[in-house]
Amino acid sequence: MNDHQPGSAVPAVNFDKLVQKLDDSIQVLEESRSFAKTGKLPRVFDIARRVLMQPEGCRVIEERAQRLESAGVYLGTDWADPGILLPTLTTYSLQSQNADTVVIEAFSELRLLAVARGAYLHPSVSAEQAHHYLTQVLAINLGLLFGMVGEAEREQGKLSQISQSVVQYVAHHIGYEHVIDSLIEEIWRILQQRPIRVSDVRKMITQIAICRADPQADLGGAGRGADRLISSLYGPTRACSEDPGTVVYEQRLESMDAQALQNEATGFARAMHDTGLVSPYHASFVRFILDDQDALLTEALGLSSTGRDCLLCYRELVCTLIREGVYPETAQGLYGMALMLERGILYQPPVAPALWRQARLSLCPDARERLQLAYGYHPQPGAWLVQGVLNMLGQPLGVGQGNNPTCQSARALSMWAYNDPDYLLQMVAWAARDNEIIMHFEGKSVSSAHSRSGVASEVTLDLDPVSLVVVPHLDRIYAEMGRMVSHREGDPHRWVNPEFHGWSAGRGFAINVDVATGKLDDLEGFIRHFYASYHPYYNGNQPLIHPQPAGVAVTDSAARFIGWHAITILRVALDPEGLMRVYFFNPNNDSGQNWGDDVRVSTAGYGERFGESSLPFEQFTSRLYIFHYDPLERGEPADVGDDELQRVVAGVHRSWGKDRVPAEALQAQPPPTQ
Amino acid sequence: MSEQKYNSDKGYVALLGWSLSAVEAADKFDRRYVVVAPDWAEAYCKEHDIPYVPWNFERLNDRSVEIAQTLKEMGVDVSIPLFEETVEWAGAINSVLMDKPKLFGQAMLLRDKALMKRRAQLGGIRVGIFEEAHDKGDVIRFLKRVNQTLLKLDGDPNDPIHLKAFDKAGCLGHRVIRTPDEVDTIPEEEFPVLMESHLDGWEFAVEAWIHNGKIAFLNISEYVTLGYSVFVPATPDLEKYRDQIRGEIEKLIKTFDIDFGFVHPEYFVTSDSTMYFGEVAYRPPGFKVFELLERAYGFNAYQGLILSFDPKTTAEEIKAFFPKEVVDAKGYAGCFGVYPRRRVVSKLEIPEETENHDYFESHELTPPLEETVTKRTAFGTHWGLVYFFGDDPYTMRDLLKHQEELDFYV
Repeated sequence: MNDHQPGSAVPAVNFDKLVQKLDDSIQVLEESRSFAKTGKLPRVFDIARRVLMQPEGCRVIEERAQRLESAGVYLGTDWADPGILLPTLTTYSLQSQNADTVVIEAFSELRLLAVARGAYLHPSVSAEQAHHYLTQVLAINLGLLFGMVGEAEREQGKLSQISQSVVQYVAHHIGYEHVIDSLIEEIWRILQQRPIRVSDVRKMITQIAICRADPQADLGGAGRGADRLISSLYGPTRACSEDPGTVVYEQRLESMDAQALQNEATGFARAMHDTGLVSPYHASFVRFILDDQDALLTEALGLSSTGRDCLLCYRELVCTLIREGVYPETAQGLYGMALMLERGILYQPPVAPALWRQARLSLCPDARERLQLAYGYHPQPGAWLVQGVLNMLGQPLGVGQGNNPTCQSARALSMWAYNDPDYLLQMVAWAARDNEIIMHFEGKSVSSAHSRSGVASEVTLDLDPVSLVVVPHLDRIYAEMGRMVSHREGDPHRWVNPEFHGWSAGRGFAINVDVATGKLDDLEGFIRHFYASYHPYYNGNQPLIHPQPAGVAVTDSAARFIGWHAITILRVALDPEGLMRVYFFNPNNDSGQNWGDDVRVSTAGYGERFGESSLPFEQFTSRLYIFHYDPLERGEPADVGDDELQRVVAGVHRSWGKDRVPAEALQAQPPPTQ
Repeated sequence: MSEQKYNSDKGYVALLGWSLSAVEAADKFDRRYVVVAPDWAEAYCKEHDIPYVPWNFERLNDRSVEIAQTLKEMGVDVSIPLFEETVEWAGAINSVLMDKPKLFGQAMLLRDKALMKRRAQLGGIRVGIFEEAHDKGDVIRFLKRVNQTLLKLDGDPNDPIHLKAFDKAGCLGHRVIRTPDEVDTIPEEEFPVLMESHLDGWEFAVEAWIHNGKIAFLNISEYVTLGYSVFVPATPDLEKYRDQIRGEIEKLIKTFDIDFGFVHPEYFVTSDSTMYFGEVAYRPPGFKVFELLERAYGFNAYQGLILSFDPKTTAEEIKAFFPKEVVDAKGYAGCFGVYPRRRVVSKLEIPEETENHDYFESHELTPPLEETVTKRTAFGTHWGLVYFFGDDPYTMRDLLKHQEELDFYV
């Protein structure tokens, strides 16, 4: 009998049969010779994808976690060694549009869940490690957990169902309370770096607040540590502690006496300096007192005597900048304002007039459009840009490159904001008003309007307002300068870095990689030279004067080379424990990274200032591949002790230099004694 | 890693050409084997410890005897062609290894579609009208002559003719010509070609393993639409011709003097149950029919290939290895070759009704690399296969047919 009518309604899935097919495909993989396994994988992945689309799918896969792994689904991939997996990368794989990537990530998550639950004794991961890893995964993928669907999920289509159900399944078995607590820790860790762009942090805090307010979610004792975070955004003071909305709050302000206003001001300042986050109520408050109570501004910004002096000298300018740029939406600008006043940079003659120009700047259509695309139509784009300028001048080390390969441009902005603020303001004016930046390269002018494409094919919108407007220009100029030296032998940064960043970047240039072969080149000489230039014990105890561009070879947590990355060396000093450290700025968005081989970049706890990263001098040198110096000040190569030198060299050879050791150097090395 | 444990009392075989499925099947089997493949396979074989001899299969030339000598010195008993291009090599090599010069001539016959048809005709096998064409003029003349023979009048729609390359596998270079205008679309470099009259009938393929001049296993593959879909075993509608087909294959074995190995011929059966011979290949079929057979019957068709070529195989081994045709099948296994239907595509999207169908097994489609789909002139190459398995041959047939109306690339 043939009663099937092709073309009729979509038939329902027979789940048992599907699971049977999955088991068959796993069996084929198990029985396959190792050299032919790759050919058997597509079937396993495809059927598993269909299983995962079903309500019971996660359970079915979790039950088969051990079988899948020993059959060889992870062979030849990073997932084969769960010890090195990074929770942060799961976001990308779970949001991938490639079905196989999503499926293998789902396999791995469910495998670790089986390990954490004791169902699978894994040879290289303990139940505790698996549990810890999964809590981090959940914290990072909170959006998926709570069904916040963004652009990435939309692009992903039906696959996002798999990502969501995996994350929700894991959370259900690990327990939400673990997620919330590690998420809170994670937020504090990020806030300690005082980034300019805090919209992601705000989103996460909002999620916690929603989760806590939901009577359905049983959080147990978890999430108590979030009080300070939530209140700093949604109710930092008594008069707004129940989050009444800015309209109600503004009415309350009308009827407050002087003492009450004073309490509000100090409450706001404390919350802001505690967390680096500014509540929209804070902006309402400051706009309110500006009218006839501006004496409270010092308290509301939480200023020290330095900042207060500066405020008093430039009161009119400060008030104008607040009126132009600080609204509940752009409240974050107040934190920038406070830190800018504390830095005292307004005393540099050109800075105040340049800020007056900024307050009244008319924006070109291009800049206007980018700001509106990223931030919306209220307040108007000029206000966002004022907020951005305040934050960049106040938190020069809080600049991030977003999801763009533009670390050089982000680094330049940070360096100017730190070192040369009126130059930065000039750049902003050119880019925002004239839609063109002109720089000079060896006497030849380079215009951003006439240059071809930049390093990034398209600069994304996940940036602070200043970067949003200026980076596309800088990126094109940077790429054009690169093209101008492309015919020269050697590394282009030698010429481009000083011309691009300004006169204070050293003209001397040292690199330990031979550009033509990619092999290490005179590593010991490079190290001695770096010590002689930067290490206070070898350079006559001279602190670094201007921040210097440098290049590092970034490695992953297994110490494998990932790529070249631009950073700024800020200072070299002893940490509280008496260890010599390099303090540097990393323009990527979260600097707390594990570079493998015990090199963990620290962002707090070793004398770092907000936004600084640090590493012990030796460890830093083991990842360094480019630095600049003043050729006129160059001394003799430092007489670095043999032990120390060899430790650095070994660090290079164990990590990014592994495949770069020139042949003769290998032969010259004594055989390893172990 | 090769983990093979072979039986030294049995033959030592050389696989000509690189096929991972064949290598894996051999590695799991009890015959010692060596892969003979171009040097690009060397790194892979070394890495995985797969026995390997490098050889570039270009045209036969003066150096051809080298590979035969090498294999002979290694103690190889027989070589097995895996692809159309290695069929004549297998003939040449086996004539040396087995000291049977006729094997080379036999391979040349099996490699040339025109020679093959002549030989079949001499053996009393019924074939359609065919001719070789060296240029476009030949094609137009043939088209006219065929239609004259069919007593068509001017203005009647022509019966089409088929053009095929002499020595290419399957549908490669296969064109259908109906009018003289269409002749202009044939590129000059495709000549010479073989031209055949169109046979209005039901086309199907046969896979037959031969041992000691006898059929060891005979499968009938049913095409739903040529170039799109195939499934095994066939429906009872086609299986009812099995005895007749067996007779045709025996004629073929006799005519081509085939002692051992494997043949893959194509036939047409017309409405009055007459069988017409299309062509025959002396190598595994395309369209993953071996995989379908394994799914349907559970035996590994490549291992069957090794058995049927190995001169040291006994009749008992053959009997034990091959299942009983049709009755031993656990179900029907089919596959469908996907061609994009739209001119511009952006992504792969398996139709939900296909994916959720009980028979649907898996697919090997990949996301599109280019957005614009090249127009198909000849029977082109499909973009990947979709596999099905189920209990009912008619459901299978209709399901495969229905896939032609669905978009896999949108």
